Amino acid sequence: MTTIAAPFAYNHTKWNVLDRMREAHIRSWERLAAPGDWWTGAERISIAAECRRASALVDGLPDPGPGTAALPESAVFAIHKLIGDLPNVSREWYEETINAVGMSDAHYVELLGVVVHVWSVDEFHRALDIDLEPLPESIPGEPSAIRPVGAKQHGSWPPTVWPKDLDDRDADIYGGREYAPNVRAAMSLHPDSVRWLSDLFDAHYLSWVEIGGEQEPFRVLTRPQRELVAARVSALNECFY
Amino acid sequence: MLLGRSSERNSALNLNGTVRNEIDSGVEHGEVLLRYADAAVGRSPDLKAAREALNAAMGPNAVVDCAATIANFQRMVRIADGCGIPLDSFSRQESEKWRDDLGIDGFRSRENTFGQS
Repeated sequence: MTTIAAPFAYNHTKWNVLDRMREAHIRSWERLAAPGDWWTGAERISIAAECRRASALVDGLPDPGPGTAALPESAVFAIHKLIGDLPNVSREWYEETINAVGMSDAHYVELLGVVVHVWSVDEFHRALDIDLEPLPESIPGEPSAIRPVGAKQHGSWPPTVWPKDLDDRDADIYGGREYAPNVRAAMSLHPDSVRWLSDLFDAHYLSWVEIGGEQEPFRVLTRPQRELVAARVSALNECFY
Repeated sequence: MLLGRSSERNSALNLNGTVRNEIDSGVEHGEVLLRYADAAVGRSPDLKAAREALNAAMGPNAVVDCAATIANFQRMVRIADGCGIPLDSFSRQESEKWRDDLGIDGFRSRENTFGQS
C-alpha cells in the first residue's frame, strides 16, 4: 500500500531478469490494482496483503499487516489455507467457503486468481533474494458483477467455461484455441484470471510457441530441465495433478 | 501428470529421479536444479548455498530461469488444488503406468482431482 507505480527495478539487483518477466510482473500489479468482477481494487489489494501475511506466518517472519479494505472472515481464512495448508484443501472446504457470508463461487475464483499470481511473483523474488515489490495503490471503481453465461460444471469444483461456450467479451482467454486443458480453464469463472495466468505462464515457464515443442532462444534451461523442476515443485506441494 | 509427458519427449528422464533424491533424474544439472527447488519451496536455510551452487554450475541466467519455473509452479499447484480440477483424460490414461511407482497416488489431493470428469 505504499507506492504509485510498480517498477520492479531488477536492474538494481545482481540478476539479469528478462524484460518479458519484468513487464509481466508490472502488468500483474496493474491487474491487481484494478477493480475486478467481484472485488474492488482496494479489496484485491487487501487479498494480496493477506497473502503476504499468510506467507510471513508460514515463514516465521514479522506480520506485514493487513490491507485497508476489510475482507470477509471466510476470505481471510481461504487465503491462509491456500498459502499454508494446500494439501488439506478439499471439496468440503470449498463448498463451505463459497457459501459463507460475503462469498460465492465467483468471489472465490477471483480471490484465488489474486492469491496465486501475487504469491507467484513474490516467490520469484524470494527465490532470488530480491525484496518484495510494494503493493500498488488501488484504482477506484466498482466490480462489474458480470458472470460468464457459458459457465457450467465440467468436473472442477467451480463452474468453468469451455472454449465453445465463450461469449464475445471473453473470446480471447484461450488464445483462440478450441481446447483448453483443465488447469487453464480452472479459473474461467473469472476470465481475467485466465488472462493473468496466460501472461505469467508465458513469461515464467512456457510460451505458446514452446507448447508446440520449440525452445525459445531466451530460455536458458532446456524443456526437460524446466519440467524436472516443475515436477519437483508439484511433488513438494503434494499436488496430484 | 507433467512427468509422464516430459519423459515421453525425453527418454533420458528417469521419473523416479524427480521425486527421489537418491535416484539420478537423467537430466543434465538435475541435482543442482532440484536442490534449488527443494530449498526455495521448503524455505530451507540451504537456499543461498543452493542458489550459489546452481549459479556456479549453470550461470546466473539459469538461476533466474529456474526461479521463474519454481514461481510458476508454486502458482499452478494452487490453481489445480484450489479448484479440484479433474485429470484430463489423456493424463489419466497415461499416468496409470507410473503413478503408483512414484508414490503420488498417496497424495491427499488425489481425492480432489481423480475420476470426477
